[in-house]
Amino acid sequence: MKKLLRTLIPFDIAKGLSITGTYFVKVFLTANRAKVKQHVVSEYPEVPAPLEPRFRGRVQLTLDEVGDPKCVCCNACAKACPTGVITIEGGKKEGRKTRIPTRWDYEMERCVFCGYCVEACSFDAIKLNDQFELAAYDREDFSLGLHGAHNVLEPSPVGKFSYSDEA
Amino acid sequence: MFKHQEMEINMGPQHPSTHGVMRLKLKLDGEVVTECRPIIGYLHRGVEKICENKTFAQGQIWSDRLDYCSAVANNLGWAEACEKLMGITVPRKAQYVRTLLAEFNRLASHLIWLATHALDIGAMTVFLYAFREREDILDINESYCGSRLTTTAFRIGGIPQELPEGFEQKVRTFLAKFPACIDEYENMLNENRIWKKRTIGVGKLSAEDAIALGVTGPVLRAAGVAYDIRKAFPYAAYSEMQFDVPTKPEADTYARYLVRMEEMRQSVRIIQQCIDGLPEGPIMAKIPKLLKTEVNEIYHPTEAPKGEIGYYLVGEKGGAGPYRFHVRAPGLLNLQSLPKMVEGSLIADVIAAIGTLDVVLGEIDR
Ligand code: SF4
Ligand code: SF4
Repeated sequence: MKKLLRTLIPFDIAKGLSITGTYFVKVFLTANRAKVKQHVVSEYPEVPAPLEPRFRGRVQLTLDEVGDPKCVCCNACAKACPTGVITIEGGKKEGRKTRIPTRWDYEMERCVFCGYCVEACSFDAIKLNDQFELAAYDREDFSLGLHGAHNVLEPSPVGKFSYSDEA
Repeated sequence: MFKHQEMEINMGPQHPSTHGVMRLKLKLDGEVVTECRPIIGYLHRGVEKICENKTFAQGQIWSDRLDYCSAVANNLGWAEACEKLMGITVPRKAQYVRTLLAEFNRLASHLIWLATHALDIGAMTVFLYAFREREDILDINESYCGSRLTTTAFRIGGIPQELPEGFEQKVRTFLAKFPACIDEYENMLNENRIWKKRTIGVGKLSAEDAIALGVTGPVLRAAGVAYDIRKAFPYAAYSEMQFDVPTKPEADTYARYLVRMEEMRQSVRIIQQCIDGLPEGPIMAKIPKLLKTEVNEIYHPTEAPKGEIGYYLVGEKGGAGPYRFHVRAPGLLNLQSLPKMVEGSLIADVIAAIGTLDVVLGEIDR
């Protein structure tokens, strides 16, 4: 008899449903009102995703006071890179003691965003910026150099393919 | 009037419940599976061979990509294996941080297992709740090393940077709320009649079979064998931690579920001890800039969330990278037990058995 009752009245399922129900009521009653937010889903494309300061995004070169790259072409980063996506050639510039890159190629499509290049550089010449929306339609857009719209000196043109631009 | 005939079908490689690109060749007699053969290799990237052409430091990024759900645990194994090969001692603080992050990773991996396993069987709600908590763990990963999934969290000789500001607070907040979340999952599943019908007695694997097939991790422990490398061959800071190794004698899918849930509780305990007893001191051992080996050969097992992940490394004289490298992936050996589990059972139980093995094809195919 007891077993039959237990089969007929699904207490076990009610127990699970009560958890879902509690959350539903909580969010329903406090939507946009509570100080402590109850809902956990973020409205990502409209509201930018919060990033940690250590976030590892795309490789970017840092500039010195005159606006030249700080890089002195020691090739330490290219050697440390596990995927070998950095190619550097050095040249000279008037009035600068150290060498200056004439070529600094970075193949983003094969970069794994590990940060080894940043650790290898003793001149603070390279950083991983906070960009992660790096999708593009053309393969060429992933080959970054010193010149052009896509380069390693500035952040990539973001928003080009993003949700907000379409509207 | 009707001809009785066995049918051979392919399950996968695009089947959503094979958790990746695994193909199962099933021979069916009606709904009963008479033969099951897993076919793997669709995700083969040649990680072992690639690493032989890289330096030891560089090799770590490929350990991320073995079992991408538990990257930190794989990083830990790789870093410790290299240290063992070169005889490097890691500072105590780095050991603690490694242990802490590896346990967080165990939680993340078990949560993703719980979510997808429950979803396969038909419990959708748990999926959402488990991912909610996993998100917090990924945030902690991100604040520590800047990456969420492919962490590259450690370096040979220690850890790359100090813990960030506010890290301890984040961990403590998480620890305060997480045990209640585990209770929540258990309240939803433990007594649920559908869950019980779909898991109890399904996918049985006896202890003898499990040992003979080299199965490790929660699957082995759910067969009543209390074998955990964290206890048997302590590494990192596990020798200083107090924790239990949960076992269950039933050896079915439900028992594996209970074992993993209990493991999560133990992980919380270990994390609590790590954060309470976090020592001060250096985070990096003194190592030469270019790591070189002598002729040497080591095998280093660690307890990844899915079982024993072992790195076998051979060093050559003056070599900057391994001469030979092999991974003992827990997933591959656990998958071998799938035919034993499902042959003679219904086809719907195959889904439960795949889920309970917690396969990640990244490490199976390598
Ligand atoms: S390590 Fe730094 S300074 Fe040297 S080549 Fe790379 S970016 Fe330039
Ligand atoms: S982040 Fe890693 S893969 Fe990318 S360029 Fe730097 S070292 Fe190479």
